[in-house]
Amino acid sequence: MSSFLKIALRNLLKGPSTDPYPFGETFVPKGLRGKIKYNAKACIACGMCEHVCAGGAIQIKETADKSGLEFIVWHNTCAFCGLCEHYCPTKAIRLTEDFHTAHSQEDKYRYVERGFIKYVTCARCATPMVPIAPELMTLAYGQVNKDIEKLRHLCPKCRQKQSLR
Amino acid sequence: MKKLLQKIVGKSPWLYRINAGSCNGCDVELATTACIPRFDVERLGCKYCGSPKHADIVLITGPLTVRVKDKVLRVYDEIPDPKVTVAIGICPISAGVFRDSYAIAGPIDSFIPVDVNVPGCPPRPQAIIDGILEAIKIWETRM
Ligand code: SF4
Ligand code: SF4
Ligand code: SF4
Repeated sequence: MSSFLKIALRNLLKGPSTDPYPFGETFVPKGLRGKIKYNAKACIACGMCEHVCAGGAIQIKETADKSGLEFIVWHNTCAFCGLCEHYCPTKAIRLTEDFHTAHSQEDKYRYVERGFIKYVTCARCATPMVPIAPELMTLAYGQVNKDIEKLRHLCPKCRQKQSLR
Repeated sequence: MKKLLQKIVGKSPWLYRINAGSCNGCDVELATTACIPRFDVERLGCKYCGSPKHADIVLITGPLTVRVKDKVLRVYDEIPDPKVTVAIGICPISAGVFRDSYAIAGPIDSFIPVDVNVPGCPPRPQAIIDGILEAIKIWETRM
């Protein structure tokens, strides 16, 4: 009985434990897996995220005018599993701590995260190619010197020729 | 904003929950909003009820499995109009990770008119509260 009174008294002094949300601020635990954010500048279009996506939420497709790749994440089928972030070599895709996902039915198919990767042309043969993100360069070479930097602007074929020379 | 919220809180829609074959993850989050003082959905004037005949706002979880489809539709029809439907979790919205399975009849909006979507697997209690708030706004226009 006395222990119960102790708890009752302590709770009385502590005040309400109810989270004030939506009337006030809420808390966000560190590392909460929320809505996807995509950074087209760091993406190398390797397709790994699309391959591992548990919910089939990711689509990478060439645009109709063949000027680049369109990247779409449909939030309405993303399971917040985090596989895409885990396997993305350049961390171009990541989960944010944004949990505000409620939206009306009209927006069901508009509720997406979009990105566009514009093709660049190879400095030697002018073939269109996916630009090589600086994140990938540091990942592959660590230190990037001038010679390596030159390779960055070549398409895979010319790059091969250049490195074998 | 405060005035608007007070107006909303002044009215008291009753919530009803349908489990259309969910994994129970979303249902646990719904129970969290109702039973745990930390999230206390009753602050919004809502109350969970046990009978579809008393319901104003219906919260649906789960991808609508073939097995429960007819029962879900029957229960849904028993809810009097006007009603507002909220899809909780990615399952009812798009069938999520179960999409294209032979056991799934959903997504839910091919059988039931949905008003608000709250994706997540499962969504946070705060996100569910967001969805319920949006549903209350729609409900006020329908009364
Ligand atoms: S978190 Fe999971 S479900 Fe969502 S986009 Fe990434 S891999 Fe797909
Ligand atoms: S987001 Fe990452 S994993 Fe997905 S295609 Fe781009 S680089 Fe590859
Ligand atoms: S959305 Fe995720 S947590 Fe909710 S019922 Fe479906 S699988 Fe379970």
